[in-house]
Amino acid sequence: MKVSLNWLNQYFDQNIDKDVLVKKFNLMSQEVAGLNKLIDIDGLVIGHVKSLKKHEDADKLSVCLVDVGDEELQIICGAPNVAADQKVIVAKVGVVLSGNFRLKKAKIRGVESNGMICSLAELGIQEFDNEEKGIYVLGFDAIPGEDPIKYLHLDDYVLDLDLTANRSDLLSIRGVAYDTACMMNLNLDLAEPRVTRETSENPVSIFTQTKNSTVYYGQTLENVEIKDSPYWLKSRLLACGIRPINNVVDITNYVMLEYGQPLHAFDYDKIQSDRIIVREALENETILTLDGEKRKLVAGDIVITDGKKPIALAGVMGGLETEIDDSTKRILLESAIFNPVKIRKTASRLNLKSESSSRFEKGVDPYQTLEALNYACELLAEYANAIVVGLPSYYNTVKIKNKIINLSLEKLNSVTGYSYSEEIVEDILKRLRFKFKLKGDNFKVSIPSRRPMESYQDLIEEIVRIHGYDKIPLTIPITPTQGGLNRKQKTKRAIRNYFVGRGFTETKTYSLASQEAAIKFDQSTTKAIRIMNPLTKEREYLRHSLLPSLLNVLVYNKSRKIENIMIFELANAYFEDNEIEKLAILMHGKLDFSTWQKQDQSVDFYHLKGLLETLLKQLKVPDYIISVSPKELPNLHPGISAILSVKGKVIGFLGKLHPEEEHEIGIKDVYVCELSLNELLNLSDENTHLYQEITKYPSIKRDIAVLVKNDITAEDIISSINKTSKKILNSIDIFDVYFDKTLSNKKSIALTLEFLSSNRTLETKEVDNQIDKILENLKLDLNAELRS
Amino acid sequence: MEQKLKKITSLATEAIKNCKTINELLDIKAMYLGKKSEFNDLMQDLKNLSSDQKPLFGKIINEAKQEISALIDEQKQIIDSQKINDLLKSQTIDISLPGKNLALGHKHILTKTIEEIEDVFVGLGYEIKEGPEIETDLYNFEMLNLPKDHPAREMQDSFYITEDLLLRTHTSPVQVRSLLENAAQKPLKIICPGVVYRKDDDDLTHSHQFMQIEALVVDEKATLADLKGTLLLVAKKLFGENREIRLRPSYFPFTEPSVEVDVSCFKCNGSGCPMCKNTGWIEILGAGMVNNNVLKAAGYDPMKFQGFALGMGIERVAMLKHGIEDIRLLYTNDLRFNSQF
Ligand SMILES: [Zn+2]
Repeated sequence: MKVSLNWLNQYFDQNIDKDVLVKKFNLMSQEVAGLNKLIDIDGLVIGHVKSLKKHEDADKLSVCLVDVGDEELQIICGAPNVAADQKVIVAKVGVVLSGNFRLKKAKIRGVESNGMICSLAELGIQEFDNEEKGIYVLGFDAIPGEDPIKYLHLDDYVLDLDLTANRSDLLSIRGVAYDTACMMNLNLDLAEPRVTRETSENPVSIFTQTKNSTVYYGQTLENVEIKDSPYWLKSRLLACGIRPINNVVDITNYVMLEYGQPLHAFDYDKIQSDRIIVREALENETILTLDGEKRKLVAGDIVITDGKKPIALAGVMGGLETEIDDSTKRILLESAIFNPVKIRKTASRLNLKSESSSRFEKGVDPYQTLEALNYACELLAEYANAIVVGLPSYYNTVKIKNKIINLSLEKLNSVTGYSYSEEIVEDILKRLRFKFKLKGDNFKVSIPSRRPMESYQDLIEEIVRIHGYDKIPLTIPITPTQGGLNRKQKTKRAIRNYFVGRGFTETKTYSLASQEAAIKFDQSTTKAIRIMNPLTKEREYLRHSLLPSLLNVLVYNKSRKIENIMIFELANAYFEDNEIEKLAILMHGKLDFSTWQKQDQSVDFYHLKGLLETLLKQLKVPDYIISVSPKELPNLHPGISAILSVKGKVIGFLGKLHPEEEHEIGIKDVYVCELSLNELLNLSDENTHLYQEITKYPSIKRDIAVLVKNDITAEDIISSINKTSKKILNSIDIFDVYFDKTLSNKKSIALTLEFLSSNRTLETKEVDNQIDKILENLKLDLNAELRS
Repeated sequence: MEQKLKKITSLATEAIKNCKTINELLDIKAMYLGKKSEFNDLMQDLKNLSSDQKPLFGKIINEAKQEISALIDEQKQIIDSQKINDLLKSQTIDISLPGKNLALGHKHILTKTIEEIEDVFVGLGYEIKEGPEIETDLYNFEMLNLPKDHPAREMQDSFYITEDLLLRTHTSPVQVRSLLENAAQKPLKIICPGVVYRKDDDDLTHSHQFMQIEALVVDEKATLADLKGTLLLVAKKLFGENREIRLRPSYFPFTEPSVEVDVSCFKCNGSGCPMCKNTGWIEILGAGMVNNNVLKAAGYDPMKFQGFALGMGIERVAMLKHGIEDIRLLYTNDLRFNSQF
């Protein structure tokens, strides 16, 4: 809301200190977005064009002799409308015009020019007069040498308030004045409008066929003379951000600004009947609005009709057919209340947000409808020569309700934690101009319709803000509670710490993705969830996997010459029935490398597998299995990928990116992993770990190397060994895998077997026996031969 | 005999002192103290002495032997330590060469900021509560005193999935869920961190996805003063011990009264600088006393219960603390950025 300070000052017997006003608004009411001069140009003077002649070398230029009070200046002017004897706005040499343009002494085709005769555009206020054709010509009463800004009543400041949704009362200058008076503890001078009415009867009758308009006053006025508004009125509209049009339209806008009540003026002679009927629009009904657009209406829009067809879109925009124009003689002035929700829907559907609609949307005080209308009548009589014809026709279904809110001093103090005294509260309520009765410690406050309030909480807010938030003491809640992280939160921190400790950098990527990316790496068959109103196609679906985002991060960084990329992310994936928190990992390049020591092992599948296994051990996930997937994993290399299962349930996958994928992004050797954190937590061991006794007896280690066919896996060998030797075999460690042409389709795998007993020292013979059995079974199960 | 002894001793002493290796030393030892050594010869000569001289000379010879033996031990130590010194010297490396590049990882700055805020509140006895990002209109709006046609809904343009399902626009629905879960209506002190969404085009200061943390206290006597004290404590923990706070009126449908909270500028200490736009204050969060309609919707009797809530944008806190001017940097994941924290 933009507020003219001149206008605001009108309500007080003294001019308000603008710096204090800004401070008060900021701390007690609404944030001030700015306080600026309406026209920030110094040194303009009124000039009188004494004489003018054509420039000898340029017939479009005039050489003017201008009296500026204390001197006469020769000024060259290119405006076609410049004429002798005009009063004009002169910028002398040295004046800085809008756009930071400093005026210099100039020679134009050999003739000196000592300043400039200004147009409104050069002052930055072209809207002040839309009739202007070149330079702006002042009235004859303008006195040369005086300040033209003052003459035009443009010597004003604009207070720009950022309004919150609960303070629609500040959408009017009167509302701002109420708040100012309260905050600054000033007397408020609110005059009632004075209207002289002709005794003849108002010819129009008003009806409604919808509950969405509770109040409608229609006043006819005759003998209207359409012309420019006086300077002061135009200036105030301009300060408040509204472009002046003509006296009738300007007055409706002016009254709207003052009261917050939007008005509309129809050309009464253009209305086809004497009956105004307010109703809901019919489906597909049309109206030509003031802006020349043909608008298709829907049921739910509210329209003002002449009994047959719509003549205005209620609260949003008038109709072109009944528009005020220069020949208008009789007008119908409307002051009404419409349903805020309906207005909002219509205005936003038609993209027609206006000063009027935005006020109706936020709710207009229904008790000021008539007063605003009367004030407009007063102004129209004065500035448009209008004759007010009788009393307005109207309907008004608003029931007079006196809203009472009770607030006890005890409640106030127990909510705020401050000890307000009766005197403080009384003083603030008086300043707010709320009527109240005090009974015991209870304030019975009647809430004026200009400040809609719901409960005592709203009253508390008023008291606290006016008394000052700085007075509230500083304490801490005394109720004892136990805080802390739950198991999932602790685990998430542990996982993050683990990866950071392992050299991984955490990423944060967007949940919304393109349709294609949302279902990449996806094993579920469900569709990705779609946003009804997405910003872009790239952010239209909720992702099933975090990996496409991590691939984007890889590509982004790789193209910036970052070679080693180890990243992870914890975030949600979204499915029809639930959200799953996932952990995603991506590895590419070298980990723990040292250039000069030639330690530069690139990461591979086994890095990723080891990383994952160590995490699972740290999280005490029991019985996990990393195995070949029974079906191909989407977007992964079929031969270099696996699934992770815990207690028989698949909770994730890991592997190398499919060569096609690698080709697409132009990066090779990318390893990824993704698993469900929810499942991991469900399946991991929650119980306190019990200590296991460390054996006192020595272990015996034996190395064996077996020759097997290439398609036999390490897992096959290990399970055969485990099956054979259950009791005393403590660990199996593969220490060499060897392929050679001479082995022809076979490979050699070397293992260290460690035997241990928890209750005795093992004998060599016993171990030898075990080894024999193991080898025997390996031969039997896998056709494995001992390699000597 | 005495002279002979002296001569042997001095010869032996010299030989030992010049000796450089353990092998030589062993030879010397054999030569002077062994079975065929000159001392042995002297011992043989001892037999020829009178019985009153025998003990005297015997003692002298033994002393000489002990002296030589001690010298040998001493020399052995010298040789050993020399050997170790030589070995150490030969093993000396250039310690100025770069150390091995042990991989260093980094938590995301948003994670770090959240954990920092969480820790402050956990220390004050708050529990951490989380909830779904896809929310119902009921929890995201209606139960927070934002009925269907409330004008304030426009403040939060949302991503809808169906008419009644949307990406949550704040973490407040977690507060609603927590109030409902707390069927026994015990005193509640929670914080709700999480990802939220608003339909804004991404630019310097807007992101369609961002993170929030909200706190909620509901019991029978939590006051506005308690809110203010908590806010000051949080501001000091996050922005430094010398910080002050300032409350200004604001509006949120779910709190009444509502306030914006400014912290005194930590760059200029309140004297005014570009960071605080010369006001000395920086807006960091919104807060207020829980609106009775929210309590009622969750089944709490507003005549018995009251409380406060506060909420802040994690991005804003992180950006202020670390001087980050473009919010998009937080989601670009340029590793040269992510690895700075
Ligand atoms: Zn500052």
